[in-house]
Amino acid sequence: MNNTKSERAGYWFILPWLLGLVIFTLGPMIFSLILSFSKWDVITGVESIQFVGLDNFKAIFHDELFYQSLKVTFIFALVSVPLFQVASILIALLLNMRSRGMKFFRLIFFMPSVIPAVATSMMWVMIFNPEYGILNKALAWFGIQGPAWLQDPSYALGALIVMGLWGVGNTIIIYLSGLQGVPEDLYEAGQLDGAGPLRKFFSITLPMITPTVFFNLIMGIIGGFQYFTQAFVMTNGGPLNSTLFYNLYLYNKAFMEFDMGYASALSWILFLIIMIFTLLVIRSSSFWVHYQGDDQND
Amino acid sequence: MQKIQPRFNLSQLIALLLLLGGSAIVLVPLLWTISTSLKTPAEVFGSAFWPTKWQWSNYADAVTAIPFFKFLGNTLIILIPVMIGTVFTSAISAYGFARFNFRGKRTLFLVLLATMMLPSQVTLIPTFLLFKQVGLTNSFLPLVLPAFFGQNAFNIFLVRQFMRGIPRELDESAYVDGANRWQIFTRIMMPLSKAPLVAVSIFTFMGVWNDFQGPLIYLNSNEKYTLALGLSMFKGLYNVEWNMLMAATILIMLPALILFFIAQKYFIEGISISSAVKG
Repeated sequence: MNNTKSERAGYWFILPWLLGLVIFTLGPMIFSLILSFSKWDVITGVESIQFVGLDNFKAIFHDELFYQSLKVTFIFALVSVPLFQVASILIALLLNMRSRGMKFFRLIFFMPSVIPAVATSMMWVMIFNPEYGILNKALAWFGIQGPAWLQDPSYALGALIVMGLWGVGNTIIIYLSGLQGVPEDLYEAGQLDGAGPLRKFFSITLPMITPTVFFNLIMGIIGGFQYFTQAFVMTNGGPLNSTLFYNLYLYNKAFMEFDMGYASALSWILFLIIMIFTLLVIRSSSFWVHYQGDDQND
Repeated sequence: MQKIQPRFNLSQLIALLLLLGGSAIVLVPLLWTISTSLKTPAEVFGSAFWPTKWQWSNYADAVTAIPFFKFLGNTLIILIPVMIGTVFTSAISAYGFARFNFRGKRTLFLVLLATMMLPSQVTLIPTFLLFKQVGLTNSFLPLVLPAFFGQNAFNIFLVRQFMRGIPRELDESAYVDGANRWQIFTRIMMPLSKAPLVAVSIFTFMGVWNDFQGPLIYLNSNEKYTLALGLSMFKGLYNVEWNMLMAATILIMLPALILFFIAQKYFIEGISISSAVKG
């Protein structure tokens, strides 16, 4: 059974994936790299691809909308990532308490994250409606005149962040499994040393769940750069480009203006940014991430 | 230990109140969407939370105002082959990685893991151009074909991890009994890997049901739209009647929510595993 000939049969079994890797990943990556240095009006055939060197990148660095989309994406990530982490940790801590009904609460908090993004978006367009949306109606009870949310350039991005907070169920579940991995004897030792609940949280829980925080940080940054459906459906980047997320801008360049070379260059910049941030978080992690035992090698 | 500790009970009570408050924040928007879907247009503008009389006819109107069943059919035409393709190719590739020691396996497996990190935007444009070049845009094929080439590395990883836990004695004794590799795969490994394959099917269902950007890019004519895409277009194309729009929104949420309640275990485990893999 272990002769090399029969081991080679393994290639046949991974063949579908291997073909897919070439057709749908490696091939497109090379093509995309070529495109990012080219100008191509898609309507004409492949022959009209024109090598233009760094022109696309030069144009991008003078493109105001490019900077606007970076700004929108970074503001979103910088505000929402920490906000979502704090909210998720708080809820996960509550859900981690041993008492009845926690399964039920866990279901409720997780529910929004299984709802299709389009449906969530439609729902919140209605909620944010300045005249008959429930949010402004609720604010009116407190005598507050709510803003026009999605129609107001200074509130639209904030509105999307608020909506995101509603769907942090995923993150809560990740923290919950992180919390369940904290050994009970640490808390018992803390108890013996007379640590109060706050002290226990900052000296035991938080250091023990930093790998989870680390994971969510990376995913949050990546998520910001991939944000699309909600922005497309709810605001389409407006008003006044105040919600022009990077991915939306990339889509507009590729599929509205059919500037495939330019859009490909944008996609490589996106890749680079995600890589840099991921590496940055990984490199800095040794300062603040605590791994329990040798778990990091698993 | 049985002594009542009042401080403990107080913190329990506060926690319960916080959880109830949080749940209300989650549930009120959903309940309000349901109530809006049952209101008359006049009531939508009013301030009452619930309608005076539940207008179930909004749902009938919604499914005719947007070609709901047409869009549902389109979604299923994509969904069913994608599920079959994904389950089969993740199983077969996982088997190859779990049970054979061919040359370059480690490298290929690392490449597989690396593809999980690649943002889809990088391959989006060239893949679109590829399909455009062969004349397949505005068809379901670009949304279906990649599934037959194991283009979701996480699924392969998930099934491969599980298969590695199946005792090797099982396939070896079958091999001694004269079964070939293919038979070992179809008769032993596939049936034994039911649990991760069910998980893969559920994730795939959710992925296709939720997918928006894919159909948006590839499908240009209304009669090809999926539900997710159709719903968003409904908002733009027609003179929006909020009650009907919310009825359609509820209808699209429903299958995802039902699947979640039936198979919650898989959702929660899936998320924990994916964070363990990538973290």
